[in-house]
Amino acid sequence: MTQALMTAKTGMFDRVAELFEVIDSLPEKMSDEEIAGLLNFLPPDAAKSLGAMLIPRVREGSVAFMRMLARWLEDAKTAREKGKKAILVPFCFPPELIHAFDNAFPVTSEVLSTLGVVALEGQGERYYDMALGLGLPDHICSSNSIEVGSMLGSNDFQPQAIVSAAVGSCDINSKTHEFVANYHGIPIFSLEKPVDNTERGVEQYYRNYRTLIASLEEFFEEELLEENVRRVVENHNTCTDLYMELWELHKAVPHPVPALFALYTYGCRFSMWGTEAGVDMMRTIVGVSKRRLAAGDHPGEKEVARCLLTYTSFYFDLAGMFNWMDDQGYAYMGDGLNMLFPQPVETTSMDTMLDGMAEEARNMPMTRQMGAPSMAMGWSDDVITAVRELNADCAIYPGHHACKQTWSAASILREELMKRTGVPLLILQADSWLKRTTPIGVLQGQIDEFVKNVVVPKRSGRTKVRRKNA
Amino acid sequence: MMEEAIRISEEIENECVKEWKGAGGKVVGYACVATPVEIIDAAGLLPYRIRALGNPRTDIADAHLARFNCSFCRSCLQLGLDGTYDFLDGLIETNGCDHLRGMFENWMYTKPSPFFHYVKVPHLTTKDAMDYFEEEVGLFRQGIEKGFGAKISDDDLREAIERQEAIRERLRTIYDMRKGDAVAFTGAEALSLFLLASAVPPGKFLELADAAIDERQGNAVEGYRARLMLAGAASDELELIREIEDVGGLIVSDALCYGARAFWSPIDTEGDPIKALAQVYLGDLLCPRMYQDYPRRRDFVLDSVAGSSADGVIVMHNKFCDVHGVDNVQLRLDLEKRDIPVLQLEKEYGSKADIGRIRTRVQAFLERIGGRQ
Repeated sequence: MTQALMTAKTGMFDRVAELFEVIDSLPEKMSDEEIAGLLNFLPPDAAKSLGAMLIPRVREGSVAFMRMLARWLEDAKTAREKGKKAILVPFCFPPELIHAFDNAFPVTSEVLSTLGVVALEGQGERYYDMALGLGLPDHICSSNSIEVGSMLGSNDFQPQAIVSAAVGSCDINSKTHEFVANYHGIPIFSLEKPVDNTERGVEQYYRNYRTLIASLEEFFEEELLEENVRRVVENHNTCTDLYMELWELHKAVPHPVPALFALYTYGCRFSMWGTEAGVDMMRTIVGVSKRRLAAGDHPGEKEVARCLLTYTSFYFDLAGMFNWMDDQGYAYMGDGLNMLFPQPVETTSMDTMLDGMAEEARNMPMTRQMGAPSMAMGWSDDVITAVRELNADCAIYPGHHACKQTWSAASILREELMKRTGVPLLILQADSWLKRTTPIGVLQGQIDEFVKNVVVPKRSGRTKVRRKNA
Repeated sequence: MMEEAIRISEEIENECVKEWKGAGGKVVGYACVATPVEIIDAAGLLPYRIRALGNPRTDIADAHLARFNCSFCRSCLQLGLDGTYDFLDGLIETNGCDHLRGMFENWMYTKPSPFFHYVKVPHLTTKDAMDYFEEEVGLFRQGIEKGFGAKISDDDLREAIERQEAIRERLRTIYDMRKGDAVAFTGAEALSLFLLASAVPPGKFLELADAAIDERQGNAVEGYRARLMLAGAASDELELIREIEDVGGLIVSDALCYGARAFWSPIDTEGDPIKALAQVYLGDLLCPRMYQDYPRRRDFVLDSVAGSSADGVIVMHNKFCDVHGVDNVQLRLDLEKRDIPVLQLEKEYGSKADIGRIRTRVQAFLERIGGRQ
């Protein structure tokens, strides 16, 4: 009994990995009755999330997404026994670089936190509390502190090194990863994004990226091979083509892409992008969306409003956020984490590939917007581009309380959106990963009021929205 | 003289600034400790470090920044937007932290300054980062030259470095005079002198500082219960320090942004001036915004504790300040490992409502330390 307690899986990674082993063993196709039966066996929080992911319109995409993550978790879990080093990376770091090493595997803290919130009973809150228990302030970011809280406070999986790539674009992300590295004595490699988009700043970033590669090569005791780089780059390019196809599908009216696919897209970008598993997942959700377009299927009864979320979404209730938006006819055009605008990487030589990968890294979400010389303008420009291209009627800032940079730029975003496009911005206050801050019902109510009282009248031409300097 | 220094330091647009402006001088505001003020000084301009002096009002700023932004930055923005800082002829932004960036962006968006320059400061001290920052200091020099029609020669720059180094040297002397058994200045007085140094022309500061140093030779502050070190966030709150000292915690050293971290490293006055500035403002920068550099910050605190015979340390941060909020936990853990009493304090900047709670916590801390009666 004592031995059993000592070896009990209490850490978030271990618990999530075990759950995904079960999910991965489920049949490819399941009937509604079989799914209902399965959900009965799961704890309520997991059943709620899985139930949201297995409703008919998203089921095929969700199964592909869960299989991809199951593979990712299995590879992370077995990395050490296969002689690989597990490297903790933030979401704003393109994982394909780590995938290009034979001796390493990327584990993304925000993806793990999200899986903990989605899949575990208690939604990972206990791990966040473990971080706070050490004295870390309650304004740290739950996106990564749920995962690192588990690393700090339980007998969980530990990475062999950390890549910190939010330096220059997010203080709290960088500080949290630095803290964990110091606390556990784990090596940390920083990739700084200069807040400078001039040629000099771009060159500096490319140099920083090459320096990081050199440090990793030394740490992994492995030279980065051209054939490996080419493999991940080719997969990146395929994923990019699929991403762009999905972007085009988002432009259709009515909008055919289920809201959850936005999450799956960047869930892939932050974990298995550059791998065949990532390509398969992207191919599946694009295929489903294309079929829906051909069939004229829209998630709701009719398209009431086209909504673009400008930063993170809310992950503690997939049914209450993503599926609810669909059901209301509030077309979910994607959120800020989809604003990564990937580009194909030139495969002519090792140099072109590494520069292309550096450029992709420079354009990851948050790095691109908050690492710009002006956070407000870098962000506004991207949001406005997306609003225009996707023909959005409104924008919603799902203000995640820990995200100080976007909070300090939100009022300018609102002004710029209105001035340049006439599109109104709803500002919400909540925590994207913790339900305890603002319940989903309150958020739904605010979105509802905004759409019904501001967006729909404007869409139908019943009110004129103020345009500054018009 | 000390009274005069304190009086001047407690006003934002103080009499020296008014006199400078009255004589046709220009004043350039900056907020971050990583700003190479010598460039401003060398152009014949007055560098002025933006402060809020405990201003609790943020109603105008709150329309731009959010409640999740640190109240120090909101308080400074308030003063920028309500006209208090209208005497500034230019603003220098640095990417000190996310809140500070937001403060400058909203300030410039809402009420643009006649001159603006952004000094981009790396967060690492690798060779590439140092080279980049050297170029950045050069660009800052060009920006000031262009913006104010000045020509800054290397000799001008060396002279400015010497002037600013003299200021730093006086501040180090003042801090040294608090280390021994006989503490010549209270923490509040030291903060006043620090604030004065970045709000008046160098000559005026040196005159007042020299007089204060002379006046306090052989002085010994009495009636305290414990010697404390203060470390942590940007804070220019004289009232807060007075409250801590009022309950018996004499501040004998600090590792504050508005404090020792701004002047502790001497500048090389002999070599290439741009390299010297890059070294002191980036290479030697003691700030939690810097990554892979925590051991140096920790050692600075430990050395200061030992050097000033502090009985305990208060590490504080303004609510929502991420860089200090996290760094302070590491500091607390490292101090505890060495059996150095430590109080980790989160506070709202300038909040009178917070004072009672802070007094109680400091009193409890002093009781825990035991202290001297």
